Amino acid sequence: MDWLNKIAKKSSDIVDRSLDRNVRVAVTGLSRSGKTAFITSFINQLLHAPLTSQLTFFQADSENRLRGSKLSQHNELHIPGFDYSGAIKRLTGETAKWPLSTNGVSQAQLKCRFNVKHSWLKKIQAQSTVTIDIVDYPGEWLLDLPLLHMSFKDWSKACRDYLKSERRQEYTQKIASTISNQNYQSQHQDEVELSDSVARLSTEYKAALLDYRADYNDYGLALPGRFIMPGELKGAPTLDFFPVLNDDVLSLDWEQFEENSLLRTLEKRFDYYKDNVIKPFFNEYFSRVDRQIVLIDTCTVLESGYEAYQDLKLTIEKLLEGFSYGRAHWLKRLFAPSIDKLMIASTKADLVPPDQHAALESFMQKMVAQAKNNVGYEGVEVETMAISAIATSEAVATEHAGKKLLCVKGKEEGTGESVLHYPGIVPDKPLSRQHWDELEIDFSAFALPDLTPDEPLPQIRMDKVIQFLLGDKFL
Amino acid sequence: MSDKPVKFYSKDKAHKAAEKLVNEAVTSSRASDDGFQGQSLATTKASEIQLLSDRKKPWYKRLFWPSLSAFIITAAGYEAYQFVTGLLQENWLLGSGVGLLAGIVVISGGYSLFKGWKARRRFKHRQTQQQQFEQLLKGRSYGQANQLIASVTEEVEQYVRIEALKTSYEQKKQQVHNDQELIHIYSSSVLQGLDKMALDVVTKHASEAAAMVALSPLAAADMALVAWRSSKMIEQLSQLYGCPQTALGRFEMTKRVFKNMMLAGASELVADAGVELLGKSLTATISAKAAQGIGIGVLIARMGLQTMHLCRPIPFGQDDKPKLGQIRKSVYHKVVGLVKTASAGKADKSDDAIEKKK
Repeated sequence: MDWLNKIAKKSSDIVDRSLDRNVRVAVTGLSRSGKTAFITSFINQLLHAPLTSQLTFFQADSENRLRGSKLSQHNELHIPGFDYSGAIKRLTGETAKWPLSTNGVSQAQLKCRFNVKHSWLKKIQAQSTVTIDIVDYPGEWLLDLPLLHMSFKDWSKACRDYLKSERRQEYTQKIASTISNQNYQSQHQDEVELSDSVARLSTEYKAALLDYRADYNDYGLALPGRFIMPGELKGAPTLDFFPVLNDDVLSLDWEQFEENSLLRTLEKRFDYYKDNVIKPFFNEYFSRVDRQIVLIDTCTVLESGYEAYQDLKLTIEKLLEGFSYGRAHWLKRLFAPSIDKLMIASTKADLVPPDQHAALESFMQKMVAQAKNNVGYEGVEVETMAISAIATSEAVATEHAGKKLLCVKGKEEGTGESVLHYPGIVPDKPLSRQHWDELEIDFSAFALPDLTPDEPLPQIRMDKVIQFLLGDKFL
Repeated sequence: MSDKPVKFYSKDKAHKAAEKLVNEAVTSSRASDDGFQGQSLATTKASEIQLLSDRKKPWYKRLFWPSLSAFIITAAGYEAYQFVTGLLQENWLLGSGVGLLAGIVVISGGYSLFKGWKARRRFKHRQTQQQQFEQLLKGRSYGQANQLIASVTEEVEQYVRIEALKTSYEQKKQQVHNDQELIHIYSSSVLQGLDKMALDVVTKHASEAAAMVALSPLAAADMALVAWRSSKMIEQLSQLYGCPQTALGRFEMTKRVFKNMMLAGASELVADAGVELLGKSLTATISAKAAQGIGIGVLIARMGLQTMHLCRPIPFGQDDKPKLGQIRKSVYHKVVGLVKTASAGKADKSDDAIEKKK
């Protein structure tokens, strides 16, 4: 009978492999969009699901098929682990705090054991395991994609155009003139000295643009992703470069420049950045990620007005460009992408009364419509949703000025006083400049409620997110 | 609704007056604000797409059936009156006895007519509910489904004990769920429980009828059997979903069930039942009678599924549609088992055939 068991074991292995029960979920969002909270909640919900069956719309859970799940060590040992227990400790601590934001790649692995549902597969193996890798990438890094097919000269020209705008000049005028006064041609004998001066200038350049970004939350090509979030490359010389902004230098033929000139040094660093930072990142990213969720903080956009909205819209479009490659696109040839499901989620839905979630979602949907369309055209399944990874409020109804009003109730930040909040009417479509100015809307963030590590975190629609991203693996 | 952001602190009146949003308060006020527009919309929309011939019939044609029945009732009443008075003149005891009987006939007939009318109304009401749910499922509204779901629960509760299902629904639903999500949750918790019971009923009746037909010696008895079992089943199923149908009221539904089966399901019927039956070479070998029994069983199962479709307040989704396969299997096993036991005594060739096939 031993050989029978062996065969059974083997066929079970083959089924596992051919069905591909490993799934790599990438969580992406611009900074402050709630990535860490999302991952914490995602892991938390899946860990609690087998015990409490709280994930109504996650089919495997509502059918009571989940047997157990646990965190395990991921195989990519060079990627730092996601600090789940630390995040939970902060959330459930005596003074509850939001988890520390990560600024780099991190990864967590989760294994879920479940009863097989499919009537044929069931005969081969009654239980199976899905391995879920959750990877957190700063969205800023994805914006480096266009740099890949630019030379240093192209990039410099693009930066020159970008920095011309009045709004940006306020911040960058000083550094731009310093950069323009550099002598790009002359030879430098002392490499260390040259390197130091480049580092100094580039630090200044970055600082100016980061200041601008902090104020307007807008950035383009002139600020490559690692400038914002260097991750493990902090202080590495490859990040020390800046564009050439002089028209006269840009119009020259750069072939004639000496090897040790400032210009050559900058070009070398830019190329190095392209080849050794961006390319490996996208290689790993596009060829290995199966499912993608992009988090967008729609509430903050609504509060900050027309300009910010347009900027974010552009950024998101650029961010999603990576997923919308055509069939013969160079990107496809390079990386053989494998993403088949993409969710674009509007986070922090707990700040909005439930009857307005539909409006929030539809607003976001219209914001990303073009990008979504492109992605959907390539056969990637796209879904949008208003979610909250860790809900800080509950919906209540009250009376105001003689009318029923749906509000959200939570603890006010700072005082801890219980407060009802009505944010105003959330628009369900993008507004004209004038309407933006007239828009009266205010989402005030609540403090964290009392949480315990023994119960799943309160959430809004995380079950639907999990069903969309993972549901088909739990057959 | 005001459109400016507001904040209420704990000392404010509005803060104190706030109620946790689960169902009633806002839901009802909202529903009266704009909800019912949506609902009436649903009904008008559905009735818009209809043949206009009914309305365009001239009044004298429309009056035919009512006037005919009124005429017959009056004539019968008059005749009965004459009959009773005639008998009274002859013998007062006989006359009053017959008069009493006539009275009972009138009262019980009227009562069952009334019941039938009520059942019919309930059925119509259920159709509207289905339309409303379907409308809500398409939209992205909030706060309108609660009321509708509560009324369905109330209707079902009168006939079935569903406490456990109800608590599971209450546990699953959150205040943030919109109508679409609530309906899905209700459908997958409460109604799915009812579906399971309904499927048991269908299976039971189908296999019983199959067995009876397989064993009955008279062809005429078969028809009576089918009529009896199917009407019994429809009664039970409709009660399970909270819109019970009586003998007269059932007429409307039976009509619909048959219509659906004949027209909409015709192709399916052929593909599903017919081929399956013909393909089973075993049934052919058992006997024509047993095959007939299985045929009848599958037919009744089909009727049962159609009744479920008609009575379920929320239409079935794409994945949770009940399937004929399971019922067919149990019908088949029942009949084969019966035939085997019946023919166990006789050393028959067909018996061997069954054994071999098994």
